[in-house]
Amino acid sequence: MDSLKNGEFSFSNETVKKDLSLLIQALDSSISGVILTDNQQPDNPIIYCNKAFERISGYQRHEIIGHNCRFLQKEDRNQKQRLILRKAVEDGTECVVEMRNYQKNGTLFWNELYMSPIKDARGNVCYFIGVQNDITRRKKAEQELLHQQSIMEAQIQERTKSLRESEDYLSSIVQTVRESLVVLNPGFKVLSVNDHFLKTFKVTKEETEGKLLYELGNGQWDIPKLKELLENILPTNNPVEEFEVEHDFPHIGKKLMLLNAHRIELEGQYKDRILIAIEDITDRREIERRKDDFLSIASHELKTPLTTIKGYVQVMQRLLPDTVGDKFKDILRKTGVYVERLNSLIAELLDMSKIQTGNIELHKETFDFDRAIHEAVDNIQSATKTHRVIVRGKATNSYTGDESHIVQVINNLLSNAIKYAPESGEVEVYLSRVSNFLKVSVSDKGMGIKIEEQKKIFDRFYRVGEIQQRFPGMGIGLYVCDQIIKNHGGTLWVESEPGQGSTFSFTLPLDERKPDEQ
Amino acid sequence: MSNKTILICDDDEGILDILELILEETGYRIIPVKNSLQIYETIEKQQPDLILLDLWMPVLSGDQVLRTLRKNPETQSLPVIVISASREGEKIANEAGADFFMAKPFDLDLLVNRVQEIIAA
Repeated sequence: MDSLKNGEFSFSNETVKKDLSLLIQALDSSISGVILTDNQQPDNPIIYCNKAFERISGYQRHEIIGHNCRFLQKEDRNQKQRLILRKAVEDGTECVVEMRNYQKNGTLFWNELYMSPIKDARGNVCYFIGVQNDITRRKKAEQELLHQQSIMEAQIQERTKSLRESEDYLSSIVQTVRESLVVLNPGFKVLSVNDHFLKTFKVTKEETEGKLLYELGNGQWDIPKLKELLENILPTNNPVEEFEVEHDFPHIGKKLMLLNAHRIELEGQYKDRILIAIEDITDRREIERRKDDFLSIASHELKTPLTTIKGYVQVMQRLLPDTVGDKFKDILRKTGVYVERLNSLIAELLDMSKIQTGNIELHKETFDFDRAIHEAVDNIQSATKTHRVIVRGKATNSYTGDESHIVQVINNLLSNAIKYAPESGEVEVYLSRVSNFLKVSVSDKGMGIKIEEQKKIFDRFYRVGEIQQRFPGMGIGLYVCDQIIKNHGGTLWVESEPGQGSTFSFTLPLDERKPDEQ
Repeated sequence: MSNKTILICDDDEGILDILELILEETGYRIIPVKNSLQIYETIEKQQPDLILLDLWMPVLSGDQVLRTLRKNPETQSLPVIVISASREGEKIANEAGADFFMAKPFDLDLLVNRVQEIIAA
């Protein structure tokens, strides 16, 4: 170990040859390429290379010695590391660079070059020693990593962008909606509201967001019905739809609001937030009410002169001398019929308006259902000479519902059956009980209804094409019937084939299963 | 022929005409009143045996008239038949204390029959 002193080799005269050969062997067994260049000769030629350098570079010793190191760069001469090398050579300092080098066969390898000067006693740089390591694999891994990183970054940017876009997109939807939207945290603090909310309730974002809902605007949102919804109904009935809240706000006045409330059940950061959509239906209700008023007044005003006309027709019929001709009598009778039709059209119009706005009131009472049907049939029968109306079966003698509405349905179905089956002479009404429902079917043997028309006939103002021309009417009868049956919790439907007649049936639930007291 | 008097109060001339025509023919003395504001004075002067009363009239409506009549001891049992084209007519009439309600347009024979029944009672 004498040879190693202060990091420097020292040789004794006796062993110099042996030591040199050992040293060369050691150098040759190194996996790092080692070269020496002579700085005292022009262009700094290589004067020594070890075996590893031959292996790394792919050149043989005789192709190496005498060349400047730059031959390893082949055509790739613009690497900025060269400047570092040049400066180190000029200054006589050491440096480490990583650069692209090329083997004899042209294969690229990454060379980690450690270069350091060897100086004489006066400090002149005589030689340079270069230690080279092929770091291609490490470089490749590094580059791959960089590449992966850049791909990932690009993907993250892309996703972030698309996330931001979809957020913007969603928020633009939220801002465009013509309904007020409020987001609450589980403690009923307002997290956000949309523009429509601000506009409708004439408040600013600052005085709304971050505040407790009940404390907004000096407690003007402390509404018992809303509290009931949020605290008692929503926790067990999520989501809640069409919840009506009426409240008199201090500045904007009385508002009628329709609320949808939704508590987020999805696991994650938004869990248990509460979304509330508020539709201001104050104006809509007011318009509906005015329309109803208008229709009530219109129908009243129309009926008043009609009363007089009807009266005069009756008086004329009474004053008719025996000598008057049949033609005149017939004209007078027909006048009476059309006055009646006008009257029922006015009534229909009013019915429809009430139903459409959902204002139909049911006056539920228990009545003898079968008898009501028989009476309705008798009434129609007494006014009909062309058809025989037959009632079969039994439903119940005790049904709770709005008798006048149910009778209206029966009258409508019967008059349709008679009207649209002019050729046939019979209409059948069949009463039955099915499970806990009663069922009424009205069958005619008339022209029937095409399958594609069957659904539409329950729409408002819908009239089957050819029917429109042949039979007068507004086309709201079945719509009204359908609504009445629905309001009673039943269904109304038709089964029919063109040319085979039609059967209109409806069911009504018998809530209390009372045995018939007969 | 009875010599009973019927007061008809309706703001519509046509209704007054037809009712007057038909009821006079039946043998009653008819007092038509078009302006409901004059009805109390006319009742006091003419002492009718029955009133046919419309509901929707300008200024003073039929149900207001009827409520006033029912409060006054002299007229509280005076028979009143309400005739109206209003959809809620029957409910309003009953609540105000009508003896009978007939929806417009009515059947004249039914009306005359009802008038005769109530006057005879």
